[in-house]
Amino acid sequence: MSAADDISTILSSGIRLAVPLALAACGEYLAERAGTMNISLEAMMLGAAFGSVATASATGSATAGLVAGVLIGLVIGFVHGNLAHRLEINTFVVGLVLNALMLGLTSYLITISSFDSHQVAQVSVPWLRDIPLIGHPLFVERWPVYLLILVIPLTWWLVERSRWGLELRAVGEQPQAADVTGIRVNLRRRQALLWCGALAGLGGAYLAVGEVGSFNQNMTAGRGYIVIAAVIFGAWRLGRTLLGCALFGLADAMRLALPALGLTLNSQLLVVAPYLLALLAMLVFATGNREPKALGQPFERGST
Amino acid sequence: MRTVDERARELTPPSTPALRLRGISKRYGPVVASDDVDLDVEHGEIHGLLGENGAGKSTLMKILLGLVQRDSGTIMRGDTPVDVHNPQAAVALGIGMVHQHFSLIDALTVWENVILGDTGRIDRAAACRQVEEVSRRYGLPIDPAARVDRLSAGERQRVELIKCLRRDPSVLILDEPTSVLTQAESAELFTVLRHVVRAENRAVILISHKLAEITAATDRVTVLRKGRVVFHSATRDTTPPELARWMVGRDVSLRAEGAALGMLPVDGAPPAGTAPAETASPGTPPSEDTPPTEPPAEPPAEPAAAPAPPAVAAAPGVPSGGAATEIVPALRLSGLTVTTDGVTVLSDLSLDVAPGEIVGLYGVEGNGQSTLGDLLSGLLLPASGTVELAGRPVELERPGALHRAGLGIIPEDRHSSGVVLDMSVAENLVMKSVGDVSGRGFVSRRKMHAVARRLAAEFNIVAPSLDAPVRSLSGGNQQRVVLARELSAGPCVLVAAQPTHGLDVGAIEDMYRRLREAASGGVAVLLISTELEEVMALASRIAVISSGRITGVLPTAEATAERLGMLVGGVAA
Ligand SMILES: Nc1ncnc2c1ncn2[C@@H]1O[C@H](COP(=O)(O)OP(=O)(O)OP(=O)(O)O)[C@@H](O)[C@H]1O
Ligand SMILES: [Mg+2]
Repeated sequence: MSAADDISTILSSGIRLAVPLALAACGEYLAERAGTMNISLEAMMLGAAFGSVATASATGSATAGLVAGVLIGLVIGFVHGNLAHRLEINTFVVGLVLNALMLGLTSYLITISSFDSHQVAQVSVPWLRDIPLIGHPLFVERWPVYLLILVIPLTWWLVERSRWGLELRAVGEQPQAADVTGIRVNLRRRQALLWCGALAGLGGAYLAVGEVGSFNQNMTAGRGYIVIAAVIFGAWRLGRTLLGCALFGLADAMRLALPALGLTLNSQLLVVAPYLLALLAMLVFATGNREPKALGQPFERGST
Repeated sequence: MRTVDERARELTPPSTPALRLRGISKRYGPVVASDDVDLDVEHGEIHGLLGENGAGKSTLMKILLGLVQRDSGTIMRGDTPVDVHNPQAAVALGIGMVHQHFSLIDALTVWENVILGDTGRIDRAAACRQVEEVSRRYGLPIDPAARVDRLSAGERQRVELIKCLRRDPSVLILDEPTSVLTQAESAELFTVLRHVVRAENRAVILISHKLAEITAATDRVTVLRKGRVVFHSATRDTTPPELARWMVGRDVSLRAEGAALGMLPVDGAPPAGTAPAETASPGTPPSEDTPPTEPPAEPPAEPAAAPAPPAVAAAPGVPSGGAATEIVPALRLSGLTVTTDGVTVLSDLSLDVAPGEIVGLYGVEGNGQSTLGDLLSGLLLPASGTVELAGRPVELERPGALHRAGLGIIPEDRHSSGVVLDMSVAENLVMKSVGDVSGRGFVSRRKMHAVARRLAAEFNIVAPSLDAPVRSLSGGNQQRVVLARELSAGPCVLVAAQPTHGLDVGAIEDMYRRLREAASGGVAVLLISTELEEVMALASRIAVISSGRITGVLPTAEATAERLGMLVGGVAA
């Protein structure tokens, strides 16, 4: 009985830890297919986490907090897009600056303010939650978790089946050729960053008002980078990318559960273990070179 | 048919031209790419645009398409001046272009590429149907579901054409559309193009280096030289030699001209229907004007046929080269088999090339030539078979092994695998011999420039400067950069895949001279070409490839269009 319970608990927390990653990954995946290496994912998640807690506290509604998180992600995506794909500032520099800025800003703001704790409601599906082992982890969750059921297929459909996605892929592969065909390359890339911002914002907000109900300094702790790694090692395939996120979530859950199970390990090592594990797994699964050919390259007309 | 056409044209009033350019100028720093160009293109006409490499043809068309901004001048559609500041504007004005480079996305499928730039929902089935329909109408067979990076150069060109024609442009610009098509394919294209242009009253601007195409397919012709219009005439009032003279500014040798003219009828589909009057006159195969090959450099030129592998031995008419047993072939391909995705692209291909010999590998585009080229570039590995250089097998798994063993290659798709577009001309020129221009681990810029300057002068490479990125060179000049680098590396085997595609008449002449010089200097040359007159003019033996197999090897003297035609059709005659 206890073993099954332990597994169930680890699964539960694994899913919760993986959800923000998966949401952000859907965004980053789309942005990268359009050719933007969006480093500012971390800023999007962190800013949204803070904003959601602040908004939830001010309005008394955690859902309003989620919405605020999405908006903040959109704003950062908008800023990144305009700096990188209008003013043609190097996208990596833009990303790093935004990340540093957001870390400093939120760290400062949290010291001068205090917020009430709010969390989004939990959903518990009758009958299904009683399935042994996976019932509780899968069917008793905070409601934004179930947004993934919508977001994942939608992202896939957008990229693989919609005209917008076709143009995004073209822009990420051969922007010069896409331009010649009459596609507005930089506009598409900015739009992709908005999608990325919205989802990363949702992920960051879920981290705060979904899981914890409060904000602490550097709350995302590099999760944005983990997502970027997941997209890369997932070889720019949505399925593999999400698998990477799930693995990281599970490993992180194990780390948290081990002490409770009576196992002691060097705590520093424990902290890096999920990162290492995720990295290893992704390396093993990484296949072929499917990188969008123009990933990270700015587009400027006339250099044909 | 011609008279009906003529009458139809006379009946239509001398309406305003579809497109009118006035005083278009464009400079790139010191280079004047367009110099006060005036050009009228009428509805229902095919307008030929000729000029040497770097004459400014592509630049002028890019201005029309909004890809390059002009410094001065006006563009008029009908009577109204228009501003084409981006490609979207050009599409809205009904101007479509088949580009010389760069307009397909490799990672997408054919139908996805074709509908790229449209609006509205994606309907895969409808898109595929449209592709098939356009491809049937214009005789450009293609599988709509194929990924573009799997296609050969010829097939890609077809996709470009389909993509452009499907949008039903009223002004259609074709920048060297046939440089990778076979003669028969081009002939077919022009027949249909001409008909459709007449019937649908579209205007077409055709850029080509092939004078035969220009004379056969166009109504009027304009020649550009150093950015200026130097000659303008109705096509029927001029002759290919005159056009060649205007382009180059001097007389051009008959043989090179013959090749540029592309006059030999190929595999049972003579372009007779397309070229009513013109084909007949200068359409004599080069072999009648001049001997088909150089007087063979006596000693090693005799094909080393004695230890020949089965495929070659089976071929008819290979002279059993008497005492040639001693000679080790400089290049020996034996039993090469390549399969991609379950399709056998090369099947048991064997071929020898002796030192000092030029062997032409002739065949219709898409019969395994590009795979062989990739293999010899080290881009892919055969499932079985070996490549031997000077009797020594090459370890194909090791990157750069072929290059180290002394094989130089002029790849078919020079744009993607021949040059690094964003590196400078000088860097590209010395890329394969970095060791020679560096001391103690550093590249000496002085030495590099000295070498580059010498090569640029020797190969007539026209570039804004040696430090300019290769991207800024004209198509033909990018080509010369590859040639200069490969030939200067002193290879013992030279593989030249479609070496004259995109070159102007003068440059073709120069290229032929260089290949012959290389051969008489003892280099074994494998010339992969889809142009019959080219292999006839250069090679001493012609191997015919069909569906990835060598269907026969003939000495050039015994090769007639009929025999080759049968071999090309896969009939081992
Ligand atoms: N982006 C650029 N920057 C600098 N110079 C350029 C650029 N594009 C073209 N040029 C120069 O302008 C001139 C005309 O080039 P263009 O490509 O129009 O020639 P072309 O007639 O199309 O030749 P080809 O037959 O070789 O394709 C060349 O000298 C070329 O080096
Ligand atoms: Mg050109």
